[in-house]
Amino acid sequence: MKNNKLLTIGVIIISTFALIALFAGLISPYDPSFIDQDNLLIKPSAKHWMGTDNLGRDILSRIIYGARISLSIGLIAVGIATLIGVLLGSIAGYYGGIIDGLIMRLVDIMLCFPTFFLILAVVAILEPSIYNIMIIIGLTGWMGTARLIRAEILSLKEREFIQASRATGASSGRIILTHLVPNAIGPVVINAILGVAGAILLESSLSFLGLGVQPPTPSWGNILIESKSTLGVAWWITVFPGLAILITILGFNFIGEGIKKRIG
Amino acid sequence: MSHYIIKRLLGIIPLLLGITIISFVIIHLAPGKPTQLEMSLNPKVSYEARLRLEKLYGLDQPLYLQYTNWLKRFARLDFGPSLTDNRPVLDKILERIPVTLTINISSMLLIFLVAVPLGIRSALNPEGAFDKITTFFVFLFFAAPTFWLALLLMNLFCITLGWLPVSGLTSLDFEYFSPIRKAVDLAWHLTLPVFVSSIGSLAGISRYMRSSMIEALKQPFIYTARAKGLPRNTVIYKHALRNAILPIATILGLSIPALLGGSVIFESIFAIPGIGRLFYEAVMTRDFNLIMAEVVLGAILTMLGNLIADISYAYIDPRIRYRNEK
Amino acid sequence: MTPEILEIIDLKVDFCLQGKINQAVGGVSLFIRDHETVVLAGESGSGKTVTALSITGILPPNALIAQGKILYRGQDLLTLEEDALSRIRGNQIAYIFQEPGAYLNPVLSIGDQLSETIILHQGLTKEAAREEAAELLALVKIRDPKDIIRSYPHQLSGGMNQRVFLAMALACKPRILIADEPTTSLDVTVEAKMLELLMGLKKEIGFALLFITHNLSIAKKIADRIYVMYRGKIVEEGDQDKILTRPEHAHTKELVAAFEKIGKL
Repeated sequence: MKNNKLLTIGVIIISTFALIALFAGLISPYDPSFIDQDNLLIKPSAKHWMGTDNLGRDILSRIIYGARISLSIGLIAVGIATLIGVLLGSIAGYYGGIIDGLIMRLVDIMLCFPTFFLILAVVAILEPSIYNIMIIIGLTGWMGTARLIRAEILSLKEREFIQASRATGASSGRIILTHLVPNAIGPVVINAILGVAGAILLESSLSFLGLGVQPPTPSWGNILIESKSTLGVAWWITVFPGLAILITILGFNFIGEGIKKRIG
Repeated sequence: MSHYIIKRLLGIIPLLLGITIISFVIIHLAPGKPTQLEMSLNPKVSYEARLRLEKLYGLDQPLYLQYTNWLKRFARLDFGPSLTDNRPVLDKILERIPVTLTINISSMLLIFLVAVPLGIRSALNPEGAFDKITTFFVFLFFAAPTFWLALLLMNLFCITLGWLPVSGLTSLDFEYFSPIRKAVDLAWHLTLPVFVSSIGSLAGISRYMRSSMIEALKQPFIYTARAKGLPRNTVIYKHALRNAILPIATILGLSIPALLGGSVIFESIFAIPGIGRLFYEAVMTRDFNLIMAEVVLGAILTMLGNLIADISYAYIDPRIRYRNEK
Repeated sequence: MTPEILEIIDLKVDFCLQGKINQAVGGVSLFIRDHETVVLAGESGSGKTVTALSITGILPPNALIAQGKILYRGQDLLTLEEDALSRIRGNQIAYIFQEPGAYLNPVLSIGDQLSETIILHQGLTKEAAREEAAELLALVKIRDPKDIIRSYPHQLSGGMNQRVFLAMALACKPRILIADEPTTSLDVTVEAKMLELLMGLKKEIGFALLFITHNLSIAKKIADRIYVMYRGKIVEEGDQDKILTRPEHAHTKELVAAFEKIGKL
């Protein structure tokens, strides 16, 4: 069936990248920061499968290590966003009333800001670093999850097993954690998977603008900084990192779509 | 419906307040005071001078007072001077808005004119060849980073093929062109930026149009339309489409924040003097006044976009426009 | 004997659902005479609606007419091109459906939906069609037709919408009206009025009526002849009298018994 094909392809792609990221040290042919003055801007060749950049650094190695950086930023940022989202969303859904109103207002307000503007503003103020980026992407991406969980909890709240729990005197916190959240978590997981893709896109855009991961630490986004000045001259600097991002995002999207179709 | 509009308009006030509060919080995230950065650039500044500057910016007052002062100035559209060249921030923004507005409106038009027919065509024959091919490209465009696509397209169309200009808004001797030639020159320069700006949303909206249309075609009233003997085109475009297209107004409005965010990137790549590029420059030079003004502006534009989208929807859907029972 | 105007011969219709083929109609034959009232009775899922929709070929895309003939005034409708069929639909053979609220387009005005058929089949101008529409609304006993013409389906009650639907179906004075459970979603009092209106108009305009229902008490009120359908096949047919008082097939007997029990027969 088509959905399983999608899911399988997605899982293969992401696992491959995850393995690459994990074993970067073993796989990478060169040190990604190794500057080789004699080999500037080499075309893809036997010695450098993906060519070298303007400082003679091997692009393949930089992409391999970049996988580590981009993937971890994506995962942690989404982790933060999901945590905040689940927390605020479930509190809003469960308690209702003023608390719900306030939290949902906050969601509306946050959604008014173009995400990129917000992130850039904070990065400008706090100076770019890998940790800052993870946190800020997380802090600007929790709203969708919050709404999702809240909706699920609102519909679950009135079901019998919750009433039963309350009747036996379980505390609110307990009910939320052990009953409501696990049942509501389905769409949140899908959202999170697609969210990693979004986070990676955000990080690469930031790094491309010079406001994300700072060189010499390689990230797929900041490898592409050089492509602006080498357009038409060194196509390999543009094509390969971009392809890496594209395939990774596709992988996550396939997994997300695959799971969606499975749950139906 | 006027009842609905008034409710919506009233709902804006808390949003505006919230936007300003959050923006204010962000400014004060800086580990040091905003003045410190200025100071650090000029180490000879004395202690007294620093105190004076702090007083000028009102930084010696309690936070809530700073907030209300800031809010008051903001309501007068006084965003302060740009920290780079001392020109009023408002002016800098105003002179760049037309360009970005042109690009964004053109984008939305392009999206509408392309995504809608694509979606409809896909819906008419789901899982058919056209649908499968379109879906493939949609996934691709959705997943590719916009700036990467911009670079690739630039490489192809500007450098390799030389069909489109590499950067800028106008050609070198723009002033000497006739009005018509000026318009053509502008359009020529804006082609790639508008296209790049639309790609992401185009993919998403055509997808949405597709499912909306498929849903509409399943509705019972389509049987009625066919039972009346109406020709196929009438059934599709008059009966189904009018239902399917209702939410598109809202969706277009919702795509504004994405368009604005994207403008930072492609305006920088294509060297277009719009507010996106202005924002990028502001961030690079840590021009806080400008940064904050743009953040607030972005939020307000988004909010306005949503408002207009919602009100248009209420207007086009007769079920909301005419609420009364007869 | 009045001539037969519609004859269905051995109709078989299959549905394709997720790769599996289900037979919805398995060899149905029936006929309708001019000016007659024929009731097609049976439970939901027995294939009544599919049969009705097959007559003018407005089945969903995953349906396939496997075999059969549908003779309308001597011509086999199943062999006609789409063009020719559309000229018959709404013009000579018209439908009314179960839930008027769902079967009327929510974003088009009542006047618009009424005028559509008139403009299409009678070639009138928009203004003339509007006039005609107002008259039609008066025909189905709607007050303030001019006001209703500018309204939208969601503003009207179920009963009113159904009357609008009836007006829409009768706009071109069809030879056959096919009514698929038109009163099932209406209140009992509204239903009675609706039936009265329908039969009154039938007398006036003279169309043949194919009335689909699972409600035998309605059949008792209006039917000349009754066909009973069960699981895609016709299991019994005959005059109203014979079916309701001397049913032969097991299923018919069940149906009749069920209605007698609640005192509706």
